[in-house]
Amino acid sequence: MKGVPLDQDAITADTDTKIKARNVNVYYDDNHALVNVSLDIPDRSVTAFIGPSGCGKSTFLRCLNRMNDTIEGARVDGSLIMEGEEINDPHLDPVVLRARVGMVFQKPNPFPKSIFDNVAYGPRIHGLAQSAEELEAIVEQSLRKAGLWDEVADRLQDPGTSLSGGQQQRLVIARAIAVNPEVILMDEPCSALDPIATARIEELIDELRENYTIIIVTHSMQQAARVSQQTAFFHLGELVEYGPTENIFTNPQDQRTQDYVMGRFG
Amino acid sequence: MSIYSIIALSLLVLLAGGFYVGRARALRSAGVALSSLHSLPNYHGYYVALWTGLPAFLTMLAFALLSQDASDRIVSSRLVELSAPLQSAYETAMARDQEHADLSGLFAQLRARSERLSDDIQRLRSLRGSARDPDALQALQEEHVEVLNLITTTQAALEDRSDLIANDVRAAPETGALPEDARAGFVFWIGDGDARRLFLGDARNIAQGVPASRHADELNVAAQMVVETDVWIRNAMIILVYGLALTGFFYSRGRVGQSFRARNGVEALIIAFLFLSSVIAILTTIGIVASLLFESMRFFSQVSIWEFLFGLHWSPQIAIRADQVGQTGAFGAVPLFAGTALITLIAMIVAIPIGLFSAIYLSEYAGSKFRQTAKPVLEILAGIPTVVYGFFALLTVGPAIRTALAALGFEDVVTQSAFSAGLVMGVMIIPFISSLSDDVINAVPQALRDGSYAMGATRSETIRQVVLPAALPGIVGAILLAVSRAVGETMIVVMAAGQGANLTANPLEAVTTITVQIVMLLTGDQEFNSVKTLSAFALGLVLFVLTLIMNMIALRVVQKYREKYD
Repeated sequence: MKGVPLDQDAITADTDTKIKARNVNVYYDDNHALVNVSLDIPDRSVTAFIGPSGCGKSTFLRCLNRMNDTIEGARVDGSLIMEGEEINDPHLDPVVLRARVGMVFQKPNPFPKSIFDNVAYGPRIHGLAQSAEELEAIVEQSLRKAGLWDEVADRLQDPGTSLSGGQQQRLVIARAIAVNPEVILMDEPCSALDPIATARIEELIDELRENYTIIIVTHSMQQAARVSQQTAFFHLGELVEYGPTENIFTNPQDQRTQDYVMGRFG
Repeated sequence: MSIYSIIALSLLVLLAGGFYVGRARALRSAGVALSSLHSLPNYHGYYVALWTGLPAFLTMLAFALLSQDASDRIVSSRLVELSAPLQSAYETAMARDQEHADLSGLFAQLRARSERLSDDIQRLRSLRGSARDPDALQALQEEHVEVLNLITTTQAALEDRSDLIANDVRAAPETGALPEDARAGFVFWIGDGDARRLFLGDARNIAQGVPASRHADELNVAAQMVVETDVWIRNAMIILVYGLALTGFFYSRGRVGQSFRARNGVEALIIAFLFLSSVIAILTTIGIVASLLFESMRFFSQVSIWEFLFGLHWSPQIAIRADQVGQTGAFGAVPLFAGTALITLIAMIVAIPIGLFSAIYLSEYAGSKFRQTAKPVLEILAGIPTVVYGFFALLTVGPAIRTALAALGFEDVVTQSAFSAGLVMGVMIIPFISSLSDDVINAVPQALRDGSYAMGATRSETIRQVVLPAALPGIVGAILLAVSRAVGETMIVVMAAGQGANLTANPLEAVTTITVQIVMLLTGDQEFNSVKTLSAFALGLVLFVLTLIMNMIALRVVQKYREKYD
């Protein structure tokens, strides 16, 4: 199946561009997992990646903070420019990059530490706080931004794993916010949560949009429609269609996109 | 070929026959529609085979285990019965014999006098100051020794006299219709427990054509009885076993049919068999623990538990026979506990860092090719017999340490030391720790590592702050298992650490451990009732309790860890 050629208008959004991807290819050993993906991600907005399982949306997401480096046999080609800097440059230190591009995973993965230490983890390893008071302030601020402060303020020393699933996911978001990243990647952040916790996270994403660029991979078309401003549809490793969320859902240009958002496959 | 193997083989044949008969009958009763059978034809076959073989086989087993004891009982009761006329003759002769009566009287008088004397001696000894008369005490003691000697000679004379009477009775011509049988019975009856056992054993040996400790007419008579009894028991067994086999066969064959639930019967039996196996395993454990416990209690009735647990001197060399010269023995086990702790500590200082670091390297840094080679090589270490480690420690490591220390100016370092034993034991334990830790580190979910990397943590930060804390309970469990292994290790320490029970913290001296002492106490010339031997059981109990506690903690910790991540 050949990808529909994308013209410059389709891949460029009108707001300031945060990340500019050009001809990104990913191989896992011999498997060509992502084919020639080019798109621009706008600053301070929510971009959703949708598509059936195995379409490459998570693979692309993991390119943005070089998490594919941790997978043996993975190879990334092409150009990913963030703020004029090449992400895919082998000389770039992924540690510095990941401080700027945070990530939230599908399953909440709090570390086996207290709630406080979970949030303080990033500031500590990056040396962001000069004093204990400053660290406490960062932790409180992050928890407040993640909308978790009121629920955990009186038990910051409890283990992070003692929270409920939805609280754990917000804790992980607070942890990501604590290093003050520019971009937050979310890989199906609600797929392990119940509808109420999901609604809470979606609200949070909407609030965070003011300060951060958010890229979210989701299986739920309703979720993409609710939280995102731009949507990219991936299929079989190719970027099929990318544009304002409204257009993708109400007026898709490609037959495959239409079939997918109508629920005919996937 | 013994009678038992012949029966067992013939039972196997019957069992196979039962299987085919049961199966054939089931097939016949099913007709064309095989599905009308409740159970598959094979189950019917097993059912008949089991009924044919199992009760008969168990009966045979019971006979094999119990027949000799039963035969001994039958023979001895017959012997006692046969000797009845001679028994009464002996009793009468004893009563009639004036000399025996006189000796008995004298014996009683001497016993009374001896008691009075020892009372007087006690009273004199308890007196203080001028009232105490050493000369009188001396005289009394001499007299007491004399009386004791008299008692011994009188007792011997008394026994000789009753032997004489017994011989007279046996030799008397008027002893009934079966003099040989009766005499044999009388010889058996007159003896005490040990003599009776010896008599029966000799009779059995003669009956079986095995060399006996002595030969005599009465033994030949008894041997004849043994032969008769054994033949009778064997015949009874043959009839019973084959009778049971045939009964079982016909009974079960009669039950086979379309709606008969053969599968349920067979499966119930299999479950019973599985249950029995687990019961045997559990009972064996309980038995071992109970024997440890009871023998230790016998030890603690002679040596106080406080002395054993807190005494600082260990020297179990005591006289094991009355005519031997020996010390009284000291049973303070603290030097052994200290030696065990010292060697275990050295072993852990070697094994924990190396094992843990190699586990971290293998699971977090090494490429998959290196891991695939290195892990099996490390695990080979676990397969080396400990005795090989022992002579490695004794012949290579010990002298090397001595040479190295001599070069540094230490002169009188011994080859057998806690250090060389601990060092080699540590090497032995490395694969335990590395292999178990590697498993728990690998069990830490990848999501945690990803989470940490995604925060911008480096690999070593991730390992130190996320992976190791998450794996910590499992690592602690691995270390505790390794410690209990080290505490129980014997061979290396026997060979490399020496046997001297020194209470020392100097790792270059020879020390000894609980396990080594158990080996020393239970090998060589010994008597199983002496305090020395019993102390081995007390040490074993301590060792058992120690390792049990550590294993329990280790299992608890590991379990807690599992609950968290599965």
